[in-house]
Amino acid sequence: MRKSYVTNNIKLKEFDALIRITVEMSKYLYPYIREILKSKEDIEENSVIWNDFNKRFIELIKERFNIDSMRVKKLLNQAENDEIIIKSLLILSFCISNQGYQKLKNFLYIF
Amino acid sequence: MQNKLSFHQSSASLEIIGLPDYSNNENNDQISIISQWKLAIVDKPLIEGKIEHLGPIMDAFYVYSNLLIKNEIPIYQSKLIDIKADNLHMHNIVLKSSKPNVKPLVLKIGNSLLSDTINCFDQLNESPKVRIKKTDIPSDISKKLRFGLIKKVNFFNFFIPPFIAICSLILFSSSFIYFYSPVENIEKKEFINPE
Repeated sequence: MRKSYVTNNIKLKEFDALIRITVEMSKYLYPYIREILKSKEDIEENSVIWNDFNKRFIELIKERFNIDSMRVKKLLNQAENDEIIIKSLLILSFCISNQGYQKLKNFLYIF
Repeated sequence: MQNKLSFHQSSASLEIIGLPDYSNNENNDQISIISQWKLAIVDKPLIEGKIEHLGPIMDAFYVYSNLLIKNEIPIYQSKLIDIKADNLHMHNIVLKSSKPNVKPLVLKIGNSLLSDTINCFDQLNESPKVRIKKTDIPSDISKKLRFGLIKKVNFFNFFIPPFIAICSLILFSSSFIYFYSPVENIEKKEFINPE
């Protein structure tokens, strides 16, 4: 999915390390993640936060991902990407405890 | 004198009240015999109950959150609690009282409050000061899934090169079909005109 000409397969150790980094990051970013989730609950009141986040998300996807891929196109589609974004944010917000590493791993296997 | 422990996460806080199990030589600040618990969510009615209600309610939240992520229909129903998704952002919780003639308590919470509540339960689960029947986070990912993740790449690496080799051989050899073979033609003509 990434904009890269080199196809490197991720090793299990690297996958584990990425999960650990993601969990640590989401611990620090929990207040922001929470606000983004909250902004979508009452879209009329807090639409600015959601719109800003969504705009930046799409910018980053266009910048770093291969936009010719069908899966990336799905991420860019405004009608379809809401559910993916909300679920991804929910997964991150559920994994901020000390056992977050295990939880995130489990969520990734079932997602 | 009862011990009190609180777990906070943004708009939710969980309070556990109880006593240590002195017969087990536990410290004074430990809680092993829970007499009461309270879950306070901002702008929502206070939820409280006995120890036998805490486990099922925690389980309900964990199961529901898993269903929500799994793309399955997020509905959890039990004797004590029902949780149902109104949409992707709002969740309907119905808490049924064990006492007769008490109306069920209906709460509507969003994703933010749902994650706050689950994080409070996580803190309780991980607290060394409270001994309850912990809600397990399954650590054994099925072997099938593990195999899928680790071996997926190896499987393709193993089969794709010979597959490409066979395909290229077929393509290369099929080009020879169109070459003219004069010897064969002469023999055919001889058969047709034996003179």
